[in-house]
Amino acid sequence: MKPFCTMLKTEWKLSLRGMDMVLFAICLPLVVLVILGILYGNQPAYDGSGHTFLEQSFGAIATIPICAGGVMGLPLVISEYRNRKILKRFQVTPVTPALILLVQILVYTLYAACSLVLLWLTGKIFFGLQLHGSTTLFLCGYLLVLLSMFSIGILVGGVSPNPKTAGVIASILYFPMLIFSGATLPYEVMPEAMQRVADIMPLTQGIKLLKAASLQLPIDYLLLPTIVMIVIAVSCSFVAVKFFRWE
Amino acid sequence: MNYAIQVERLSKSYGKLLAVNNLSFCVERGTVFGLLGANGAGKSTSIECILGTKKLDSGNVRILGCNPRTERKRLFERVGVQFQEANYQEKITVNELCEVTASLYQSVSSYQDLLKRFGIAEKGKHMVKELSGGQRQRLFIVLALIPNPEVVFLDELTTGLDPHARREVWSLLSELNNRGLTVLLTSHFMDEVEALCSRICILNRGKSVFLGTVEEAIAASPYDRFEDAYLWFTEGETENETILHNA
Repeated sequence: MKPFCTMLKTEWKLSLRGMDMVLFAICLPLVVLVILGILYGNQPAYDGSGHTFLEQSFGAIATIPICAGGVMGLPLVISEYRNRKILKRFQVTPVTPALILLVQILVYTLYAACSLVLLWLTGKIFFGLQLHGSTTLFLCGYLLVLLSMFSIGILVGGVSPNPKTAGVIASILYFPMLIFSGATLPYEVMPEAMQRVADIMPLTQGIKLLKAASLQLPIDYLLLPTIVMIVIAVSCSFVAVKFFRWE
Repeated sequence: MNYAIQVERLSKSYGKLLAVNNLSFCVERGTVFGLLGANGAGKSTSIECILGTKKLDSGNVRILGCNPRTERKRLFERVGVQFQEANYQEKITVNELCEVTASLYQSVSSYQDLLKRFGIAEKGKHMVKELSGGQRQRLFIVLALIPNPEVVFLDELTTGLDPHARREVWSLLSELNNRGLTVLLTSHFMDEVEALCSRICILNRGKSVFLGTVEEAIAASPYDRFEDAYLWFTEGETENETILHNA
């Protein structure tokens, strides 16, 4: 346990020192929440709706830190640590290099968790946000989205030949997903054609899952997104483990 | 068993290039062994194959009686390694790097003491990347010594150190060696090799061209200075090839 705890503490400090995750995983979602809160306040999502526009968007905003950590943070850190031969150094110590990857996954999970709590408190205190569905279901959904996004990240980081390629792939995944999957720009205000394109993105399905869980939508709304998330998590993890290169 | 390191008929090629060709040597416990050769002669590849971070094509390696690939976890509690290239996280401080390294082993020497003895204790709070080349080199030797190892591998021990610091590193290593530490080092400085190594192996294009003591190397050459003898051994093959070319 000692190597694990020391490494987690150190990697968390190093990550905070980098500041980019603080901006993209903590500040950015908070800003989006506050802007939507100010713009739409407590307005209902549509006429006669039982929940507010902000409540409808909460699940989507909550995925911003997952997206930042999973498809931006993780691939970059994995390819960087391999490129800087940090993983190789762990090979000549009693611990396995896999430990440092596990630590990284936890660091980004920690960001997501902090961000979720902060978003929830801000929404509740300033905009009267309420969770209509079950909290357990929402948290399970959140964890599933996290697993599937992180598995994409590990795959990209694991197979990219160098940090530059990893950076390019991460940007190609991150920015479209951030903007068009409904995480920042609400899915409901998109024209229908755009919604169809957005549906292809894995995060869009994840957001649908969280929306259904938070708004207590009928169970059949949950089915497809859940399957998509599980398939992504399983297949990406499998490929990542199979083709991972330590050096 | 008196050998700390045993290498038998080790060969490794990259594609068509035979980087290490049928290399055999043994290092007795408590001695300092020098692996010499020009850049590209196969020193680093040999070390990596011995440590198990590169897979060898054929041959047999034992460190402290263990197979470094299959008994990694047990072996590397007792072995310290300093690689040629820097491998640390970009924003990590000296103390953090030492602390994480120390956490990986069950029994360790105090890194504060080691930093003090190598004259970089006051740099503890500095970023590793802000250190001068010589300070960083000394830090990496400290990292290799943290596990309180029985065997230590030092690749290009004093490259980048000023003459003063080199002498200090020599005396510290001699002291540790007197207390039973086995050392395998590579170096481009023949005065260093003469001062430290009880036995040497000279590599030329992946092949061992000399194995024995420094005195034996001088005696086997037409010269009476070790540096001349070393150059004679490493240039021999090039000359022979030139002759073949001209024929």
